[in-house]
Amino acid sequence: MGFDLALRITGGVVGFAFLLQSLEYLYSQRRYRVVFAVRAMLSLLLLIGIGAEWALILLWLMGVFQLHRFQGPYNGGSDRMGMLVLSMLVLCRWLPEPRWQEIAFGYLGLQLILSYFISGWVKVVNPEWRSGQALRNVFEFSAYPVSETLRGWATRPVLLFVMSWAVILFELIFPLTVFNFYSLAIGLGLAATFHFANACLFGLNRFFWVWLSAYPALLWLQGRILGGLGQ
Amino acid sequence: MLKNLLNTGRLLLPVLVPSWRFFDEIAPSPRIEYCVFSDDDENAGAGENWREFRPRPSDVSVGRMLRRMIWNPRWNESLFLMSCAERLMSHPTRHSEDEIFDRILTDLSMLSTDTLENSHVTFRLMFIYRHDGALHHHVTYEAEPRPLYSAGRHHGF
Repeated sequence: MGFDLALRITGGVVGFAFLLQSLEYLYSQRRYRVVFAVRAMLSLLLLIGIGAEWALILLWLMGVFQLHRFQGPYNGGSDRMGMLVLSMLVLCRWLPEPRWQEIAFGYLGLQLILSYFISGWVKVVNPEWRSGQALRNVFEFSAYPVSETLRGWATRPVLLFVMSWAVILFELIFPLTVFNFYSLAIGLGLAATFHFANACLFGLNRFFWVWLSAYPALLWLQGRILGGLGQ
Repeated sequence: MLKNLLNTGRLLLPVLVPSWRFFDEIAPSPRIEYCVFSDDDENAGAGENWREFRPRPSDVSVGRMLRRMIWNPRWNESLFLMSCAERLMSHPTRHSEDEIFDRILTDLSMLSTDTLENSHVTFRLMFIYRHDGALHHHVTYEAEPRPLYSAGRHHGF
């Protein structure tokens, strides 16, 4: 995937993600509605690719404002990834040297790999994850399951054991998929499915869109470094 | 000025160099419970009037799950309140308490004003955790009650 195309897709998808977020803020926040209305318009500009350079700068400043407003990320990891994507897009658009731009976009691809691998590592070293107990705790008493019916999954130890190891192995093996364009495409497809399942079961829809926006960075990085077959 | 810059740096650093330690352990999980009581109720807040704030539905259809892929404001707000509850335990601030009170007042503003005038509202945090194989519930925080009517002027009362 070419650099400009990857940048354009990443900007479009994260613009879509920010547009959804901004409309949600407009719905649920009574204060700063003007700020979130402007953010929605800037997100739309980023999505359609008009005036994207300036939209990126303003969205980044609004991201800093939001960190202050909510004294941290509003929705944990998804907001952190969203701000990371935005920061790297700003650098890619505004750094003077193409080489520096590529380093910034490559950093995003690298962080995407780490996001899966480190998540897998911290799980595999935890006995509760290896036994399936951690996932049982998630379903039984954590704040994440979207319905009481889903809490019933806590009584299915075999299913949770299999699910735990499927997640751990996928996250740990993910970095190996980058050595081939097609294996990376399959890996990203599985990753998107994983986020989709998390969105359905735990209501983490923001993770789905924001993580998806970073995928072009890794597809580009793979081709840039390894000369993938997809170029 | 310097304090603001340092605070911005403190907020931005985990964004630019993330840790990615998702679900490394399943920590005690907070529930927010609120209580509304009239001003002349001497046992205010100490009775059986605690209600879970925004309890989850018994079931969510597949269609609703799919719609939530693009429109999920209430749930995302509830997740933010869980973060506020956890922050109140790790480093209590007025901000986290205000955010929780703000949403409780907003939800209460949907109710009849007659029953809410001359009343106070408070909330507590109930943490659920597993110890020695059994689930335990423990109240770890109880906010100072706030007058509902004056606070509710901003919320449509």
